[in-house]
Amino acid sequence: MGEHLEKRFRFTTSWNYEKEEEWLNELSAQGLHLKKAGTFHSLFTRNPSVRYTYRLDYQPGLGTERLQEYKDLYEDAGWEYVSSYKGAWHYFRTEWESGDLPKLYTDTESLTEHYKKIQRVIGILMLTNVIIFSTNMVNVLNHYSGVWGIILPVACIYVLLFGLLGYGYVKTGKKIKKITS
Amino acid sequence: MKSPQQMLPLTEAFYYILIALYKEPAHGYGIMQDTEKMSGGRVKIGAGTLYTALNTLLKKGLIDHYPMPEGSDPRRKMYQITPDGKNVVAAEIVRLKELLAAGEQVVNETKE
Repeated sequence: MGEHLEKRFRFTTSWNYEKEEEWLNELSAQGLHLKKAGTFHSLFTRNPSVRYTYRLDYQPGLGTERLQEYKDLYEDAGWEYVSSYKGAWHYFRTEWESGDLPKLYTDTESLTEHYKKIQRVIGILMLTNVIIFSTNMVNVLNHYSGVWGIILPVACIYVLLFGLLGYGYVKTGKKIKKITS
Repeated sequence: MKSPQQMLPLTEAFYYILIALYKEPAHGYGIMQDTEKMSGGRVKIGAGTLYTALNTLLKKGLIDHYPMPEGSDPRRKMYQITPDGKNVVAAEIVRLKELLAAGEQVVNETKE
């Protein structure tokens, strides 16, 4: 018999992933433990007799071998590998203990590096989107006229996306500033 | 490569990782335990900090992969310090001694 999985709506942003950690830790305290992270819904198992501390890590682009090495190292340090999201975000957990919750990044320097890595990816995403969007716009406007009915909504969506990514970039920058000053 | 002095100062985590490996090749978990022991429990290196530090040290050529001894768990990667790594440790110790001497001198002079 397979174990029963429960769904919970997940909303999270890369620049505020600590919120998701808090959320997972609260649910775990209630007996609901993350099993698999999804885009809109994450899956949980119910077991009131345990409680975990969850932590997220951002490590994109690890190949099969390096991913295994990575998991082994974290597991040696007492972290159970739970799930990954888009192959870049990795979820770990360890049995909850009272007192300060264990962290993956234990000094300012490495945490800053970690935030910078996230910020860089947000920046690159934004730039590539701006380039793709502008080239498309130039092409469309050169070849067709009177398609504003389509262009306008698309442009609006893009502007929203740029805005969101820009916000994420600035937010992550503020986080870096806060821990380094 | 850069001169050893250009790599300084080392963070506490980098310093302890390097001196742990100066003693003998070790795997990640061994480095964590040794660091905690050497610092009297003060410095605990988290998994994320250790993982990124090891990658940085590998990239800078201060540490290297250590060939796995026969019969050991092949999943546990081991690391060893390189001659460049030893030079950086030596340079850091010189720097720390200077800090210590300067500090102690000032504190002792102002005591009277």
